[in-house]
Amino acid sequence: MGGMDIWSQLINGFMTAGTPVNLLWALVGCTLGTAVGVLPGIGPATAVAMLLPITLKVDPTASMIFFAGIYYGAMYGGSTTSILLNTPGEAGSMVTALEGNKMAKSGRAGAALATAAIGSFVAGTIATVMVTMFAPIVAVYAVKLGPPEYFMLMLLAFCTVSAVLGQSTLRGLTALGVGLAMGLVGIDQISGQARYTGGVPEMMDGLEVVLVAVGLFAVAEALYAVLYQGREVETQNTMSKVHMTRDEWRRSWPAWLRATFIGFPFGTIPAGGSEIPTFLSYATEKKLSRHREEFGTTGAIEGVAGPEAANNAAITATLIPLLTLGIPTSNTTAILLGAFQNYGINPGPQLFDTNGALVWALIASLYIGNVMLLILNLPMVGLWVKMLKIPKAPLYAGILIFATVGVYGMRQSAFDLFLMYAIGLLGVMMRRFGIPTAPVVVGMILGPLAEAQLRNALSIGEGHWSVLVERPMSATLLAVVVSVLVLPRLMKMLRRNG
Amino acid sequence: MDATNPNVAVAAAADALPAGAIRAQALVGAGTLVAAAALAGGALSIPADAGYAGVGPNFLPWVVTGLLALCGVLMLREALTGGFRELDEVDGAEQGDWGSFAWVSSGILLNAALITTVGFVASCALCYVLAVQGFRRSQGTVAASAMDWVKDAATGLAISAPVFWMFTKGLAISLPGLTQTGWI
Repeated sequence: MGGMDIWSQLINGFMTAGTPVNLLWALVGCTLGTAVGVLPGIGPATAVAMLLPITLKVDPTASMIFFAGIYYGAMYGGSTTSILLNTPGEAGSMVTALEGNKMAKSGRAGAALATAAIGSFVAGTIATVMVTMFAPIVAVYAVKLGPPEYFMLMLLAFCTVSAVLGQSTLRGLTALGVGLAMGLVGIDQISGQARYTGGVPEMMDGLEVVLVAVGLFAVAEALYAVLYQGREVETQNTMSKVHMTRDEWRRSWPAWLRATFIGFPFGTIPAGGSEIPTFLSYATEKKLSRHREEFGTTGAIEGVAGPEAANNAAITATLIPLLTLGIPTSNTTAILLGAFQNYGINPGPQLFDTNGALVWALIASLYIGNVMLLILNLPMVGLWVKMLKIPKAPLYAGILIFATVGVYGMRQSAFDLFLMYAIGLLGVMMRRFGIPTAPVVVGMILGPLAEAQLRNALSIGEGHWSVLVERPMSATLLAVVVSVLVLPRLMKMLRRNG
Repeated sequence: MDATNPNVAVAAAADALPAGAIRAQALVGAGTLVAAAALAGGALSIPADAGYAGVGPNFLPWVVTGLLALCGVLMLREALTGGFRELDEVDGAEQGDWGSFAWVSSGILLNAALITTVGFVASCALCYVLAVQGFRRSQGTVAASAMDWVKDAATGLAISAPVFWMFTKGLAISLPGLTQTGWI
């Protein structure tokens, strides 16, 4: 695909994304996403999951633009909460909270919010340019991958999401096992054999993504809050004028740029999550800063600017493996993959050919969304700050109503509402015992795809497992999988002995 | 390896878990084993018919069974030898507030039981009323006068009715109504 071609496709994308209806979807998505990021108890993955029933009626381009707006908006909104409240809204904002909170406590909440929003915009936009340029190239190479390579890539995604991220490999793998087991329910794609349906007709179509995601995130969060967090008192920092001084600008922009290039690569590899790049960016800024004494004391602006930008760059970059390989590396991209599947669209290298108009409209909408979000989060930040005052009780009770819409709306089954409660209980237990939930969702959605790739790979190899190591690319990927599993342990052992 | 290091041994003894926590963790490990057993039971009834591939529809079920069984055994071992490793301090209170939990649970379950008979709007409003009671009780503020109930019911209706109209009329998603009018 030539260079000119990319830009003409992108312009076509802007034509599609720029129609009044699609702009409205983007705006509603960005607004809803910001709200979801600001409010506790609900994150982007849950919000997208609850709204998946709209895929039954709304056309794919509009709904993907809408979902991308939510995904993006939540990142912007999350920083407002983590700067102003002393509990972070979502995982990627945890590091922002370190310095952002300190800045807010010393009366500089406005500057922290400004550098977070502008940094998110800068990083998001640069990362979108990189997605525009690299995604089609990756797709060209990805076409050459066969089932053995795909299976290895998916295995890599399983390993990183369960064994590398998170506290304990053992509990990560347990969560993955639970997710894979959930993915088994229903009709086997290849043989047409029913598995684990227990004779219940509702189970034949498998477990709905909405059901599992809403149960595991929204319902579990509500149940956990009522069980264990009722007496927690949250404190809110005072707001100040959203403004950065010349010196703060001068300190912010190198951090934004550095962080963009730290965050982006992490998003592209199936090692999901933005925890690692945000921490890396924080460490880098702390090391390079000429104001090191401000870190952890009065709050250093670089410590907010960097992690926020890294977070957005990584989040944007996760679209590359999602769109070009069909491999989700986070909760939210896993659910976006579910949304594509609801339309009978399988993301992967062919997506750019078969659904080019949709993909380019989606990418164009990211540029538009970033501008909308900058406006929504800078001049209008006061509106979101007010949302932080909504009391927990009606907020969580209200979330349960939306959970019902999502789960019941998907396939009109009251049985699913009971299952949703059961999965909510499972989620409470997992959180209580430090078992991560991301591997469950990724395992459930990616499991059936990985199984199909493996069985196709073995068909190619006429039943011989050696097919997985005989092809150079597949063997290389296997080596990567092994090193991802072994290296961190080896380093730990060396450090302990050294 | 750790046992030979006296510092590690002392540290481990200092944060030894209470018996209740150990028992709960052991139950999680055992529960994982039960799940693995259930998967194995199901896998037995899936034919092995492999075709060209050499592995059939029962292959992944057995792999997942093995994975969960192994994880269950290892978690059980961790629990019984000092507790789960690399576990942050539990999030929130030590003891669960089961009374408040029952309010919220009954809200969700009654909603599931009633939604097809009384319709989305009424059923969700009921869920809201019960859940908001539970959340308030967990925060130690009881608001259960007749006026509070009326207010909560009104709030519940004020959320669920517009949501119902937005999704059924705006997005053509089918949600159950009490009547055929499409308004409630």
